Amino acid sequence: MTRIDKLAFGRRQALGALAFAGLALRPGLGHATGGSGTVVAAIDNDPPTLNPGISTDYATGEIAAKIYESLVWLDVESTPQPSLATSWEAASDGRTYSFKLRQGVTWHDGKPFTAADVKFTFDEVLGKLHPRMAAVLKSLGAVIETPDDHTAVFRLQRGYAPFLVQMTVFDAPILPKHLFEGTNIPAAPASQAPVGTGPFKFQEWNRGANIRLTRNENYWDKPKPYLAEVVFQIVPQAANRSAGLQTGELDVVSDFYMPKPDLPRLMRDASLQNRQGINIPAIWFAMFNTKSPVFAQKEARQAVAMAVDRPRLVQQVMRGIARPGVGAFGDGFKWLVNADVSYDKKYPLDATKAKALLEKAGYDGSPIRMVFDAARPQLRSEAQIIRENLRAIGMDVQLEPLERSVMLDRVFAKREFDITLQSFFSAGDPAIGYTRLYATTTSGTNNNASGYSNPKVDELLAEAATAPDRDRRAALYKELQVILNEDLPSLVLFDEETVNVATKRVSGLWSSVDARDRWAGVRIQGN
Amino acid sequence: MSAPLNPQAEAIATSRGPGFLRRLCRSRTAMLALGFIGLVILLAALAPFVAGHDPMVGGDDAMLPPLSPGHWLGTDDLGRDVWAQTVYGARVSLMVGLVTALFAVSIGVVVGGLAGYYGGWVDTVLMRVSEFFQTLPRFVLALIVIALFGSGLWKVIFVIAILSWPQTARLVRASVSSLRQQPFVDAARVGGMGDRALLLREILPNVAAPIIVTGSLDVAAAILLEAGLGFFGLGDPNHISWGSMLNEAQQYLRIAWWMSLFPGLAIALTVLSFNVLGDALNDALNPRSRVRS
Amino acid sequence: MWFVARRLLHAVPLLFCVVVLNFVLIAATPGDPVTILVGDFPAPPGYVEQVKREFGLDQPIYVQLMRYLGHVLTGDLGYSFANRQPVSTLILGRLAATLELTLTALLLASLLGIALGMLAARWRGSWLDSGVQGIASTGYSIPDFWLGQLLILVFSIWLGWLPSQGNMSVRGAPEGFAGFLDHLRYLLLPALALSFRYLALIARITRAAMLEVLSADFILAARSRGASETSVMITHALRNAAAPVITVIGYNLGFILAGSALIETVFGWPGIGRLLFDSISRRDYPVMMAILLMVSVTVVLANLATDILHRAIDPRVGDR
Repeated sequence: MTRIDKLAFGRRQALGALAFAGLALRPGLGHATGGSGTVVAAIDNDPPTLNPGISTDYATGEIAAKIYESLVWLDVESTPQPSLATSWEAASDGRTYSFKLRQGVTWHDGKPFTAADVKFTFDEVLGKLHPRMAAVLKSLGAVIETPDDHTAVFRLQRGYAPFLVQMTVFDAPILPKHLFEGTNIPAAPASQAPVGTGPFKFQEWNRGANIRLTRNENYWDKPKPYLAEVVFQIVPQAANRSAGLQTGELDVVSDFYMPKPDLPRLMRDASLQNRQGINIPAIWFAMFNTKSPVFAQKEARQAVAMAVDRPRLVQQVMRGIARPGVGAFGDGFKWLVNADVSYDKKYPLDATKAKALLEKAGYDGSPIRMVFDAARPQLRSEAQIIRENLRAIGMDVQLEPLERSVMLDRVFAKREFDITLQSFFSAGDPAIGYTRLYATTTSGTNNNASGYSNPKVDELLAEAATAPDRDRRAALYKELQVILNEDLPSLVLFDEETVNVATKRVSGLWSSVDARDRWAGVRIQGN
Repeated sequence: MSAPLNPQAEAIATSRGPGFLRRLCRSRTAMLALGFIGLVILLAALAPFVAGHDPMVGGDDAMLPPLSPGHWLGTDDLGRDVWAQTVYGARVSLMVGLVTALFAVSIGVVVGGLAGYYGGWVDTVLMRVSEFFQTLPRFVLALIVIALFGSGLWKVIFVIAILSWPQTARLVRASVSSLRQQPFVDAARVGGMGDRALLLREILPNVAAPIIVTGSLDVAAAILLEAGLGFFGLGDPNHISWGSMLNEAQQYLRIAWWMSLFPGLAIALTVLSFNVLGDALNDALNPRSRVRS
Repeated sequence: MWFVARRLLHAVPLLFCVVVLNFVLIAATPGDPVTILVGDFPAPPGYVEQVKREFGLDQPIYVQLMRYLGHVLTGDLGYSFANRQPVSTLILGRLAATLELTLTALLLASLLGIALGMLAARWRGSWLDSGVQGIASTGYSIPDFWLGQLLILVFSIWLGWLPSQGNMSVRGAPEGFAGFLDHLRYLLLPALALSFRYLALIARITRAAMLEVLSADFILAARSRGASETSVMITHALRNAAAPVITVIGYNLGFILAGSALIETVFGWPGIGRLLFDSISRRDYPVMMAILLMVSVTVVLANLATDILHRAIDPRVGDR
């Protein structure tokens, strides 16, 4: 795939054709040399910031992943691969990680990248401001040493199995010290006009319209990047994003921006390619408030498990693109699934049994409050189906769709709910995202608000998060499923499957588990 | 969305000449509208018997087109019967429309009556308040309030009512202040009647007719507003409403048009009927200003 | 002049109340904007405090109100948390799209409405008259967002003639005349959907006003002088019927702005209404307040302008 000449020729032709069709992009396009073609990807809105060190916003990550890099990237198996770190060593106790940094890498403004940038980023940005990493780094008591300009050593107070898989550009992007040091980081100019080490440079941000990146001529992995430009076009209307792919106006649309009802149609379209089912594992679940009168009884929770039609949820809520829930951690991490205690075995659909369990739990017909985020249409459908299922066994379910921040307050701070519908994802490792679902917690958003607290579970979760050996961890997670599938503080409804779609002209996409990452190797034909 | 929508309302006089009912009955459109409203009320009341399905229970037969066996208007994305939903949706729309209009008219009559009867600073203050409410963009405000405080049937009714009364108030005020100077009111006052009795027994009955007209138009406006909120995803999720049905239909327009067509038609026809009825009542009340029929 | 000054003075407390109401309303709501700001995961406490300080959210509520009032008076509408932009910049960026949509709709509604109203009045009682009256009744009974859905269904999905979403090609509008045409294709359906209700209203008012004027003595006189029917209709009748028609248009300016929120959502039109919807779901207080304020100010100013204009056209109108 190194037919640069042919590609360049094709591109000129296509530009002419585009101009003729009245679709030419604005002038300034493609003046970069070396790469060829522009890929247009859709986002839904202006991102809140272009600093991935302080936000986990999806669009921020989508754009920043092309500009910034991190120590490692994850391949489709979620195995760490070298990026800004060329190699690394983990001590056998899992408490020291030593990274050799890539030499000869420069920031887009020409300054050299060194270990000082790494230390600064972790100490001053991620450790303080990153929504996910700050808490992780604090609890690990991470200390970073830089014996020389090209070595970074992380010393942790305790072992943490997912440490490496969390060193990605989404959780641990490396930012330039010389631009952020001494600034108010969220308001710093470089948070709006980022300067990274990645394959593409920030070019301009036309608010409400698009964000343009151009090729980084001095990228360390020559001859990459292959593209001259990447444009993130703001397309607020979901329907236009799928239509845009079909008309060829858009080249790539991430699953996050894809209207679910349109997916089956797009997947049948011969001019499009897609990647289904390879994604950061994410589960959608119903969390019970185990402190509420009804769901304090395990039997009531089990009754729900027997009443809720999970395959129908998959079919009608996700248009068939998901996998019905099998247990406490879903089946996104194949190595930990315990098939012996799966939901299918324990809780086959059975309204009669469910009613009996409900009776045993002493349910008196009082209303059940089901709380969810009103801004997510899928949750609305999900809630309606569950309500229907639970009414069939005699439960009086009242839906309470709430504005997001109100929902967070009601569920995670006040814990005023009976059932809440949520979804969590877990990048690369179950310990990152799923521990919080079952570990005893008393405060904070997006964690275990069920009130379920089991010392045995806490202990197992802690060990599963720190044990360095995969087999040992699998055994621990299987043991956890024995307890959690029985106790059911949360009922996993389904495992999300994402479908990323692109036109067939684009190649080299999706080499990482996160579809947004690794764009240096992306090419486009006839543009 | 408020006064300007029904400019004729301001022009309604208080005369209630003889032959009012006869004139009303003679209008074919008015009778049609009345008939349709009756039909909708009947369907709403008899919903469990005429729906044929539980509107909240779906199944695997999702997005069946109209005229499918057992579902003559088709099914929605969750396999629920569109006819059953439309019939049950009538309950919410009618309830919101009628209760809101009742609320709005009650507040309007009290405020307008006080302002018109007493005049002076009472009038000034109350009219300023009502003017303030008229300045507020009703839909935008209702949207923000419901979005922030969470949805619920009664919240929706309350918010719409709070934003709907000024029009009635201004109308009542105008009528009352002109009636106050009428000889028969003076006569009653001279006869020793108190303010309250005077207002309740002599003046208000004479304002009743135009109030009914605005009430009917208020019903129509409230149904539309509720549909708008529902369309924004802010309807009460525990009741089926036409607006919420349209909200769900939005993402399936390409695949299942019937999810949008029938609830929309229901709103349009019901609102149309109340508007036509309001106009016909107005014409019947004011034969001289019959410029529209 | 005195009249204008008094009306202006009158508008000031009204606007003040609107500002205070907006602020109180939004401050009284449950939920914390900071949770939206910091993202999905448990935020480190230090960060939450920092964000609060940064945006003055750690101050008592009356201090926030006072500060907000002060800012509004100096034209500073605050800072959007979610967009990390000044609100005024944000709104100005969207204003053009909304104005374009609403003014097109208003123009469409006025031209067609007046024309239909005149025709109906001229041939009173004919089938044409009945037709116009039918349109008028339907027009303001049909939910405009549903009309929008129907238009999309017919013209975008079934016939495939016009795009259904957005205001320009996905890759941005081309330049020059091609860009204008491109734009027009996107504008047509939403403008039509938004205008229908006002078209109905204007047609109705025009018809009523014309009928009243047509029976007046000076029209009879003009007719008896042998003036042509066109001249009678346009120079005499329409001019005299103009006052009520202008009143209706003016009074609806603000409401059409508010009404475009629904249409913008149906058609994905990137204007103020769409911004409002986004701000509601992101709980972007300052933007919500600013939009509510802006619409209210528009209503007050439009009413003011209408009153003044009305007076200028028709001196018989006294002070209210």
